[in-house]
Amino acid sequence: MASTRDIRRRIKSVKNTRQITKAMELVAASKMKKAQQVALGGAPYAALMAEVLAAISHGIEESAHPFLVQREVKNRGILLITTDKGLCGPLNANLFKLVTEVKTPAKFYSIGRKGTQFLARTKRTMVADFQVHDRVPFAEVKVASQFMVKEYLEGAIDTIEVIYPRFKNTLVQESIVRPILPLKSLKEFLDQFRKPGTTVKADDDREILFEPSVTEVLNALLPFYVDHQIHQIALSAKASEHSARMVAMKTAKDNATELLGDLTLEYNKARQAAITQEILEIAAAQFSAA
Amino acid sequence: MSLILEIVTPEARVYSETVDTVVIPTVEGEVGILPGHIPLVAQVGAGELRATKGGVTQFLVVGGGFAQVTGEKVSILADSAIEEAKIDVNAVENAMKRAQDALKTKEALDPAEVERLEGLVRFSVAQIGVRNRRK
Repeated sequence: MASTRDIRRRIKSVKNTRQITKAMELVAASKMKKAQQVALGGAPYAALMAEVLAAISHGIEESAHPFLVQREVKNRGILLITTDKGLCGPLNANLFKLVTEVKTPAKFYSIGRKGTQFLARTKRTMVADFQVHDRVPFAEVKVASQFMVKEYLEGAIDTIEVIYPRFKNTLVQESIVRPILPLKSLKEFLDQFRKPGTTVKADDDREILFEPSVTEVLNALLPFYVDHQIHQIALSAKASEHSARMVAMKTAKDNATELLGDLTLEYNKARQAAITQEILEIAAAQFSAA
Repeated sequence: MSLILEIVTPEARVYSETVDTVVIPTVEGEVGILPGHIPLVAQVGAGELRATKGGVTQFLVVGGGFAQVTGEKVSILADSAIEEAKIDVNAVENAMKRAQDALKTKEALDPAEVERLEGLVRFSVAQIGVRNRRK
């Protein structure tokens, strides 16, 4: 049996760990609240915009705008959104799993240090990585999306897709590949999420009227669409990150508490054993002296 | 037959109700929507949006954006939106003044920022316009 001194030392170290994880949990919890608020507040707007565009993309000619043209896919353009820091459970590992499933030629763009490291380690074609602050300002995400749009228009990549942890709720984050361009793939993507039988928009297949004109509406709406969608996705990823971290830290804290209980019990047992031993020795000594 | 009117801004879903008719301020003038309207996608300018339900008309002010009409659903994607009763003229005037001051140094600003500020000014003008008309 381990000596009481060893056990005491372990108890002390576990206590320290618990204190640290508890502090990290609290920090993550407060960041999570803010990030979730921002992500959920913007979600209806982004969802509606995606729906509008999906409907539009089926009502008009492909040639009306380069974003609508479905080219033969030679190179996929994939934006990988991960976290800058670790200690957030299986969040990043789940995203990497999706990356390894990409078998076709693809060019990668990265937001988040963990993703950049992973892409470099697995020797994938990484074109650029972008730094985005914890608050996820629109201006910083826009740099990334604009760059990808430029590559898309130049023909360096034939799709724009995003791999990110979609925020569902505090306990559930779902790693998904989300298509952004061309717009045709968007409709298919949205159909996956729609429950069967709720095709409210699809049954209205009359020709869409544009006001003032198709080109003007598209020119105003489309450039804005990519930036906004990617920003919303980044916000969702940030909310996922903080949620995952909080849950991971809470688990770590609970584990530490449990371990502490076990160790304390073991310590008390060892102490009691030592005392009993001593009494026995004293008694034996007295007995033999008498 | 009635319409479902939904107004959403980047911050939140501002309005979601069943109404009888809607009048949308598009960039080319007002468009009235009744149930059964043909599918429409329109560019919305800053201005006043009217929704009528059971003879009672509600007034809202929207910033620029887009409107989509499909079947019984009218969706408005607006940069900003506010109900007429909630307009605070003083706050709006202050905000407009700040935006205009910032715009004086246009060259130093990021184009996206200029666009945002100009949108804010247009939205402010529309709010004040609507408020004054109702007095």
